[in-house]
Amino acid sequence: MGPLLTTKLHVPRRRRGVVARSRLGELLGRGDEAALTLVSAPAGFGKTTLLTEWLAGAEERSIAWLSLDERDDDPVVFWAYLISALQTAVAGVGSSALAVLREPHASMDEVLASLINDLDAVPDDVVLVLDDYHVITARDVHERMALLLERLPPHVHLVIATRADPPLPLARLRARGELVEVRAADLRFTTAETARYLTESMGLALNAEHVAALDARTEGWIAALQLAALSMRGRDDVAGFITGFAGDDRYVVDYLVEEVLQRQPDDVRDFLLQTSILSRLSGPLCDGVVGGDGGTTMLERLDRANLFLVPLDDRRHWYRYHHLFADVLQARLLAERPESIPELHRRAGDWFAENGEPAEAVRHALTGGDPERAADLVELAMPAARQNRQETTLRHWFSQLPEHVLRGRPVLRAGYAGAILVHGELDGVEEHLREAERWLDEIGVRATGGAGAEDAVVRAVRSQVAVYRAAQARLTGDLQATTRHARRVLELAGDDEHLVRGSAAGLLGLAYWTAGDLDDAHRWWTESSAQLRRAGHHSDTLGVSIALADIALARGRLREAETVHRSGLTAAFRHGGSVLRGAADMYVGLSEVALERNELAAAREHLAASAALGDGAGLPQNRHRSRLATARLRAAGGDLDGAVDLLDEAEHVYVGDMFPDVRPIAAVRARMCLARGRVDEAFDWAGKRALSPEDPLSYLHEFEHATLARILLAQHELSGDPTCLTRATELLERLRHVAQEGMRTGSVVQLSVPLALAHRAGGDVPRALATLERALTLAEPEGYVRVFLDEGQAMTSLLEVLATREGTRPYLRRLLAAGPGPVTAAAGRQALVEPLSARELDVLRLLDTDLDGPDIARRLFVSVNTVRTHTKNLYAKLGVNNRRAAVRRGRDLGLLTAAGGRAVSTAVVP
Amino acid sequence: MAENRHIGLSDAGRYEIRIEGRISPRWAPWFGGMSLTAADDGTTVLSGPVADQAALHGVLTRIRDLGLALVSVTRLDAD
Repeated sequence: MGPLLTTKLHVPRRRRGVVARSRLGELLGRGDEAALTLVSAPAGFGKTTLLTEWLAGAEERSIAWLSLDERDDDPVVFWAYLISALQTAVAGVGSSALAVLREPHASMDEVLASLINDLDAVPDDVVLVLDDYHVITARDVHERMALLLERLPPHVHLVIATRADPPLPLARLRARGELVEVRAADLRFTTAETARYLTESMGLALNAEHVAALDARTEGWIAALQLAALSMRGRDDVAGFITGFAGDDRYVVDYLVEEVLQRQPDDVRDFLLQTSILSRLSGPLCDGVVGGDGGTTMLERLDRANLFLVPLDDRRHWYRYHHLFADVLQARLLAERPESIPELHRRAGDWFAENGEPAEAVRHALTGGDPERAADLVELAMPAARQNRQETTLRHWFSQLPEHVLRGRPVLRAGYAGAILVHGELDGVEEHLREAERWLDEIGVRATGGAGAEDAVVRAVRSQVAVYRAAQARLTGDLQATTRHARRVLELAGDDEHLVRGSAAGLLGLAYWTAGDLDDAHRWWTESSAQLRRAGHHSDTLGVSIALADIALARGRLREAETVHRSGLTAAFRHGGSVLRGAADMYVGLSEVALERNELAAAREHLAASAALGDGAGLPQNRHRSRLATARLRAAGGDLDGAVDLLDEAEHVYVGDMFPDVRPIAAVRARMCLARGRVDEAFDWAGKRALSPEDPLSYLHEFEHATLARILLAQHELSGDPTCLTRATELLERLRHVAQEGMRTGSVVQLSVPLALAHRAGGDVPRALATLERALTLAEPEGYVRVFLDEGQAMTSLLEVLATREGTRPYLRRLLAAGPGPVTAAAGRQALVEPLSARELDVLRLLDTDLDGPDIARRLFVSVNTVRTHTKNLYAKLGVNNRRAAVRRGRDLGLLTAAGGRAVSTAVVP
Repeated sequence: MAENRHIGLSDAGRYEIRIEGRISPRWAPWFGGMSLTAADDGTTVLSGPVADQAALHGVLTRIRDLGLALVSVTRLDAD
C-alpha cells in the first residue's frame, strides 16, 4: 500500500446547530444488538451527520470510521483502509492482516481470517462505520464483506451508510434480527424538525405557514432545506422567496442552487464552477486549476459562508464539496462551459502529477478525455502501483485506455498482461503479449545498437514478456513451455536483475520438482534463493527454503532439511525489528524433522514456537502445513481423533500455492482412517480419486499410490483376498523402482516399509527382511525412526528377527526401545511429555467410573477443590478438555484398562 | 470473436427514463446527452441512445446521486 490518507479515517467534525433527533438515536441504539446497521438513503439526507451525532453522544466504546471514495474500489486498498480505521480504535488490531496484505500474492481469505481472529480477541465493543459504501462496486470486496459479517464477533458492530443497498445478505440478517435499518423515510425531517431547524438552528424568523410551505416543497429533504435556508439568509423578502419557491415545480436542488449562485459575486461563482471537477480541494490545488494564488483565501471564505464545503482534516487544508452540491455545480459547468472542462482536468492532472499523486493524475487525464496523457502517466505510475500491489487499480486504468492508445506502447501491453496474470486469469493475456512481441520483432529488424536508453527499454520489455509468457504457461499447466520461457528470461535478464532471475529460477525449480527431477529442482531452487536474497526479497527466500527442505526430505536427507530450516530461521530473525514472514514455517519444518526422528517433545516445542509467532509470521501455506504437522504429531501420540479433526481444519484453510501438492491432505486422512481401522472410508477416498494399482506412476502421485497400496494391504488383512496382496506388492515394487531411478531415497525408505510388511503378509519372511534391511541401511545415517515405529506390532516382530541376527547394531536397538507403535502402552507413555503423577492416575481411574466430583473426593480422602486441581492438571497433560476425552485418551495410552473387556485398539474408534 | 456477437441486452439501444419532477433541459449533457422533455403529469422523460448497459447504469447512478425519484425505465424498439 502507498501512503494512507488519514483524513479518511477521521470521524467528521460535528456541525453547529444540528437538530437533535432522539427518535433516530433510539433506532441506532438497537444496533448494539445487531451485526449490521444500514443507513440507506439518497444524497443529502443527513446520513453522515446522524452518525456523527450518534457516536458523539454514545457511551464508551471504540469507534472506527472510514469515509470511502472511488479509489477504495480495489480489494487491497479497501482492506488496508478498513484495517487502518480499526487500528485508530483498537491499537494493533489486524496488524498481522496488514502484514499479509503487503505481501505479494497475499490471499485475501487469509487477510480476512487473521482480521477476524484479532477482532475476536478485542475485549470491548467496537463500532466500525463505513461511510459512502455505494462507491464500492468490486464483487471481491462485497463477497468478503459478507463473509466478515457472517463471522463478526458479537461485540463488533458494523455500520454502513450508503445511497444504495449493498449486495450483502441483508434478507438473511433481517430474518435473524441482525439488521437495524435507517432509511430515507426515517431520515426525512418531520414538520416539527423542519421548524426547529429553520427557526432555531438557522435563526430564521419564519411563521408556521412559511415553515409548512418549505416542509411541503422539500418533503423533509435536508439538503434542500439547507439550500433554502442559505438562500433566505440576509434576504429582505423572505416571504416572497418562499412563495416563489413553493410555486415552482422545478427540481428542488436545481432551483435552490440557482438561487444561491445568483447571490454570489462573479469570482465566487467562477471558482465554484471551475473547482467542481475536483474530488477534494486544497488552496494550492485550486490555484493550479483556477490560476492565481487566491485559492486558500477563497476556500476559507466558502467555509465561513457555509457554502457546502466539508473540511477533511483538522488543519483545514483539504476540503471537499458536499456531494450533491458538487454534482449540481459540475452539471452546470458542463452545460455552460463544456469546452473548458478538458483544460481544467489537464491542469488538475498536472498538479497531482507534480505533487506525487500519479493515481489522481491518471484519473483526471481519463475523465478529461486525454487517454494519451493518461497512458503516459500510467506508464510512470506502474512500478509503484505494482510494488504496492494495486493490481485492481492498474487493471482498471488499463481497461479504460482505448486500443489505439495501447498500440505502440509495449511497456503498457506487457504491464496489462501482467495485471491480468496476477489475478490468476488468462483472458486477453495472449493478445497483449503478442502485440508486445510484434513490437519487439519490429524493433529487432529496424535498429541494431541504437541509443542506450532505448536499448534499456527494449531489454526490459523483452525480459518482462518472457516472464509473463512463463507465468502464462504455468497457469495453463504447460510445464515444458514454463521451462522454455523461464530459460529465456535467464538469457535476457541482466546480471543485476536479481528479482527477475530469482523468479525465473524458481519457475524452473518448480517445473523440475513437479516432474520429479529432484536434482535439477534442487539446483534451480538454490539459485533462486541466492538471487532473491540479493534482491532483498527475504520473505520469498524463506518460501524457497520450504521447497528446498521438502525436496531434501524426498531425497531422504533429514539432516539437510534441518539445516535448511535452521538457516532460514536465522535469516528470519536477522532482518530488522520484526520477524520475517516465513519464520513460523521454518519451525513447522523443524517439527517435521523432529517427528521423523521420534523426538516428540522437540516436535511439540517447534510447533508451539511457530504458533507463538502468530499468523502474521507464516506464509499463506503455513496455515494448513502447521495443522498437518500437528495432526501427525497427535497421531504419533495416539490421538487419532484429534489428528483427524486437525486434518479437517487443514483442509478448510488450505491455500494452493505454486508448489506441487505431493502429500495431499485427503491422502493423509485416508492413512489415518486405516490406523483407526476404517478401511472402507479409506477405500472410498481411493475410489473418489479414481486411483488404480495399474496407473502409470509419477512423483506427483507417489504418496497417493503408496496410500492405495496400504489400503489394499489392509483389505487383504481383513478379507484374506490374495489378489489384494498381489496388487499391493506389485504396486509398491513399481513405486520403489521409480523412486530409486529418481534418486528419491526418502521415498525409497517410505515405500520399503510397507513393502516389507507385504512380503511378510505373503509368507516370504526372508524377502521381507532383505527389504527392511536395505531400508534400514538408507535410513540409519539420517536417523529415521517414526517411519518404522508407525507400523506397529508387525514391524516390531520383523525388527526383532533382525536384532537376534545382529543384536549389537545400536540403530536396531534404538528402534526397538522406542516401542512398537502408538496404540500400545509403551509408546503411549512415551507420548506424554509430562507423565501423570500417581495421584493424577488415581483421579483418572475414578473419572472412568460413574462417580461424580464429591464422590471422587470422598473416595480419595481429599477436598473437592483438590480433585479439581488434579483434574485440571491431568487434562492439561493429556491435552484434553473434558472427562470423556480424558478417559478415552487414558485408554489409548494404556493408562486405563479398557472397560467391559473391550480391546484397547477398538477403544480408539468410538 | 466478432462473428459470435449478436444483438442482446448488452448492446446499444434507445431508452426512455422517467423521473419525478421537473428537470431543466440544461441537464442534458450531465445525463450523457439524452434529451429531457417535460411531461404533462409533472414527470420528466430522459430519452436517447445509450451505448451499452454500463452506460445506462451510469445514467441511473447520476439520477440516484441527485436524489431524484425514478419512475420507470423503458427500452424503445430498435429503429
